[in-house]
Amino acid sequence: MPEPQPLEPSSYVPGGTAELVPADAEILRTGPGGRGPRGPDTTAAPSVAAEERVRSLWSDAWHDLRRNPVFLVSALVILFLVLIALWPQLIAPGNPLDCDLAKAQQGPGPGHPFGFNGQGCDVYTRTVHGARTSVTVGVCATLGVAVLGSVLGGLAGFFGGVGDAILSRVTDVFFAIPVVLGGLVLLSVVTSSTVWPVIGFMVLLGWPQISRIARGSVITARQNDYVQAARALGASPMRILLRHIAPNAIAPVIVVATIALGTYIALEATLSYLGVGLKPPSVSWGIDISAASPYIRNAPHALLWPSGALAVTVLAFIMLGDAVRDALDPRLR
Amino acid sequence: MLLEVRDLHVEFRTRDGVARAVNGVSYGVDAGETLAVLGESGSGKSVTAQAIMGILDSPPGRITGGEILFQGRDLLRLKEEERRRIRGAEMAMIFQDALSALNPVLPVGDQLGEMFVVHRGMSRKDARAKAVELMDRVRIPGAAARVRDYPHQFSGGMRQRIMIAMALALEPALIIADEPTTALDVTVQAQVMDLLAELQRELTMGLVLITHDLGVVADVADRIAVMYAGRIVESAPVHDLYKAPAHPYTRGLLDSIPRLDHKGRELYAIKGLPPSLMHIPAGCAFHPRCTAARDLCRTDVPPLHEVTGERGSACHFWRECLDG
Repeated sequence: MPEPQPLEPSSYVPGGTAELVPADAEILRTGPGGRGPRGPDTTAAPSVAAEERVRSLWSDAWHDLRRNPVFLVSALVILFLVLIALWPQLIAPGNPLDCDLAKAQQGPGPGHPFGFNGQGCDVYTRTVHGARTSVTVGVCATLGVAVLGSVLGGLAGFFGGVGDAILSRVTDVFFAIPVVLGGLVLLSVVTSSTVWPVIGFMVLLGWPQISRIARGSVITARQNDYVQAARALGASPMRILLRHIAPNAIAPVIVVATIALGTYIALEATLSYLGVGLKPPSVSWGIDISAASPYIRNAPHALLWPSGALAVTVLAFIMLGDAVRDALDPRLR
Repeated sequence: MLLEVRDLHVEFRTRDGVARAVNGVSYGVDAGETLAVLGESGSGKSVTAQAIMGILDSPPGRITGGEILFQGRDLLRLKEEERRRIRGAEMAMIFQDALSALNPVLPVGDQLGEMFVVHRGMSRKDARAKAVELMDRVRIPGAAARVRDYPHQFSGGMRQRIMIAMALALEPALIIADEPTTALDVTVQAQVMDLLAELQRELTMGLVLITHDLGVVADVADRIAVMYAGRIVESAPVHDLYKAPAHPYTRGLLDSIPRLDHKGRELYAIKGLPPSLMHIPAGCAFHPRCTAARDLCRTDVPPLHEVTGERGSACHFWRECLDG
């Protein structure tokens, strides 16, 4: 506390009534009254401010993240994944659909460091090209889930009432649907071989998770004094929600969404493995794992590389989510 | 009368029953006048203020009766949109704890400027210039440099000044200050109170000062309304009340102030606890704690007796109390 305390506590306690207050005021007026550079805050403020400049929740989080090795490693891995998802030709110029049955199950050789799979396709090329589907599914499903879930959950938490009650029951229903079983039922009727039905399915089943978190987070933020203060100053409900509540309630949503991204990538592989996710000619780690698993004894390399890529990717996103959670949760500081 | 509260009733419906927080409160404030509303925690003073501002949490809170006249209009009959336009522009509130009443993720300048954006439709840039002006006005040193700082970068006293600046931004006719100095150091309290009183004089605003600090009251208030269990038990000009309280509760409060000439003696305390708002005692709500209670007090609710033209007491035996 930079405020000056010119009085000894013992000198004001015994007479802390009407008579003494003006006397206090006279003494104190010499402190903050002057607007000059010797005001009470200016002495302490510049040093504190210089060191603490713009240390909001977000800048604090960024400050922590930059020093967190878990974040740095996972961010590097993810950066690399995004790069090869966008431009796989950079490191794998071959065509993943260019297969030669004569080379089926061959081990690593010159120009083909990971060998060939059961169909005689180059495992290296397919593993690199498979990143695109995984990253697309993970990012799009997470975005969809985060937007839909936080909008619905946020509105329900803020306005409450009947809408909230209905939404809560709907989320309960969705929580009761087993994801893999739901995927087997819903996706088995889809004939499209693109990533979109899979993403749509994940958004459909994933939004209740985010919605529940966003709702709780908004309800917590709504009870803050500054929300009541904003109301008392005449801010409209939408303004309160967007400007005062949302920035204070978004952190848990970001954390859960980042962790969920990894699980969506794993889920895509699971569904593709089961034959209801992506279908050939799409290139996906799940499809390759599925195709290679019967030959695990003869050609383990065809299973190892796509599985390894999947594991590293999921791990990277979950580690990133963990690091972000640690940085955004002030209680862990 | 700038603000007149008439026979206001507020209750909270909870799972355990109905808590009657405000039971027929009436008070008024003129322009340029300071009314201190004094009472313990749970006496209904803050709930009354929230009802006036229209920021009562409902549900569970509900206004079940009475009217709130502000500049002649009954606020309780206005549409929410009309009330929203009054809030902040014509009446504003200062909260107890500025640290929690300011949004932690927005720079203070943005929060001050928001008043002008919301009510005056100003651009962000103009609003920021206004924010600097306001911070200067409440004497925050280096306002122009600090307008981008976040609330936690200010000291407690400075934060409360920012709260005051926000409330005064649009020069409202009425300010409700809910324990504006309780969260501050004793040394800073006086500075903040002085600033508030000075700005009030300058702008001839009506001020409702909610407090439990008798010292603050004596210094700045014109009138006092003492609340107990959701009712006004005594209402009087400040000097009359200090000279001779007309209600045993007020007397008890004044007797429990530490005094220099009582050094070494045991400090007086009103015995017992404030009643639960779910089970307010029959008759006079204060009777279980009152040293002068009689049979009448246990059965009949005392009305607010007129003591003189400008003071009233809700005690059956106010005459005896006044005589000591």
